[in-house]
Amino acid sequence: MKEKIFELRDVWKTYFMKGIETNALRGVDMEIKKGEYVAILGPSGCGKSTLMHVMGCLDTPTKGRVFVEEREISKLDDDELAKIRREKIGFVFQAYNLIPSLTAAENVALPMRFSGHGRSESQKKAKEILKKTGLEKRMDHKPNELSGGEQQRVAIARSLANNPEAILADEPTGNLDTEAGREIFELLEDLHKKTGKTIVVVTHDINLAKRAHREIRMIDGKIDK
Amino acid sequence: MLDLAFKDLKEHRVRTILTALGIFIAITAIVSLGSISMGVNELITSSTGLIGADTIFVMKEFDLSEMAGPPGSFQIEDIEADVVEEIRSMSGVKLAVPIISRPFRGLFEVDGLDMDDVDIFGGGDLEFKEGTWPENDDKGAALGYLVANMLDVVAGDYITLNKKEVEVLGIFEEGSGAYDLVILMPYDYADEIYETEGGATQLMIEPNDISLVQEIKDTIEDEFDDLDAMTMEDALVMMEEMTGTLNIMTFGIGFIASLVAAIGIIITMYTSVLERRRQLGIMKAVGALRRTILIQILEEGLMISVVSSLIAVGVSFIFVDMLNNVLLGGTNLALITPALAIGAVAYGVMLTIMSSLYPAWIAVKTDPIKAIREG
Repeated sequence: MKEKIFELRDVWKTYFMKGIETNALRGVDMEIKKGEYVAILGPSGCGKSTLMHVMGCLDTPTKGRVFVEEREISKLDDDELAKIRREKIGFVFQAYNLIPSLTAAENVALPMRFSGHGRSESQKKAKEILKKTGLEKRMDHKPNELSGGEQQRVAIARSLANNPEAILADEPTGNLDTEAGREIFELLEDLHKKTGKTIVVVTHDINLAKRAHREIRMIDGKIDK
Repeated sequence: MLDLAFKDLKEHRVRTILTALGIFIAITAIVSLGSISMGVNELITSSTGLIGADTIFVMKEFDLSEMAGPPGSFQIEDIEADVVEEIRSMSGVKLAVPIISRPFRGLFEVDGLDMDDVDIFGGGDLEFKEGTWPENDDKGAALGYLVANMLDVVAGDYITLNKKEVEVLGIFEEGSGAYDLVILMPYDYADEIYETEGGATQLMIEPNDISLVQEIKDTIEDEFDDLDAMTMEDALVMMEEMTGTLNIMTFGIGFIASLVAAIGIIITMYTSVLERRRQLGIMKAVGALRRTILIQILEEGLMISVVSSLIAVGVSFIFVDMLNNVLLGGTNLALITPALAIGAVAYGVMLTIMSSLYPAWIAVKTDPIKAIREG
């Protein structure tokens, strides 16, 4: 039986805005095993992104317990969470979130630099990863010189930089046209097939979600069973 | 990760230049003012070193407030000839050297004294660039290097003092300390030029024994109401007070400049952190530790401060050179010592790092989710 990579037990996330309490997650229980390709589906505002952020150690739950590779992360401090993000999880965001002053290769090298690797070693490895994502001719371009699809490929390459166990992609095709969106999904599928990495994709596109091996549906901050 | 810090500075040129400008102004102000302070201290130290510890200076009382005004505009009243004679004949006085002093073009001074007494003022070992000492019966003067340089004269030329032509008999070698700024002539000739009728601007008294210094001082002050007698100890205290005041002024202005620069740095760095909030959020999201963010912001401060402080010190050298040559008539009054230059760069770096701490702390506290979502 495969090991669990993510496990959530009765996870709540509550926001207080102008005195109003909003529960983005309401007692979520779920687990994802290593090597799975999972799509998280649901309407806008149902808590998909919050779930992704809590799972990916970008945010901590208000209540409940979150485990990454069986280590509880709910009570860890900023730096311990950053280390887990850096080594175990790769993020892909809807808005790409590349650093505008850095080239594609430098953006990809960034997580490796944060892990203590030298500049040239990181750049070399970043270029190898970019080649695999089909961007060998765009490595030295800055984000504003790349198309949306290319920027998302760079973001995927960056998520692979430290060879993490899981890739979490939050609406990775949300800012792309249909063709570019399809290419990004193919890239993620290919990645899953070739490397066996755990892929978790948040999307509201049912057609794209069907390409995943398992679908998790969310509604009003809960898993729809 | 200095390369990343450098890229950020390059990317935000205006902000970088503004931060650098604040540091540049503060360091230039500190080095330039500090150089004047250093130069004056150096001059006073070298001057006091020339005179013996048992010397007493006597001059007419004057009010310090009268000294306000352009350099050289103030002249102490002369001591009358009969008073000079009376002091000379006092018991315990071995030697009383009358000196006629007149300011010359602001920075310089004409001193008339018995040429046989030059040794008392540490002048005996001075070397001449050209010419030699005037004899007591000569009608001429020896010029300090800077005086000759400013007047553009050589030995054998004439200069005008009190509307009379005076022959230049010698010029001291460069670097003769306080003598660089002096026109020295025999007492009798100075008496003739300035029509002092045997009087003196100041008397320098050497007692028979060092133990008599205080007694002679007290006697002079008791017997002559309008005279001030000052021992070397008094003179040193006064000079220390003067240099102390100058140092306080210098560093006071430096402190205000630093404060303004520090506020400028905090504002520009803080604005830069707010501008880059999204970028900092991304960095944290992909694994940057708090320390990494802190170091990057401080590295940016370090780079700006090292470069701008070095430029400031370089510009200060040019400024001080202009100050010495243009405004101070070729003197080396303003002096940038290696300690001042190195200290100023170190201070600039420290000031920037300290001022960057708060913006860096704000950067460290960036919440990646909020920063990415809200930009």
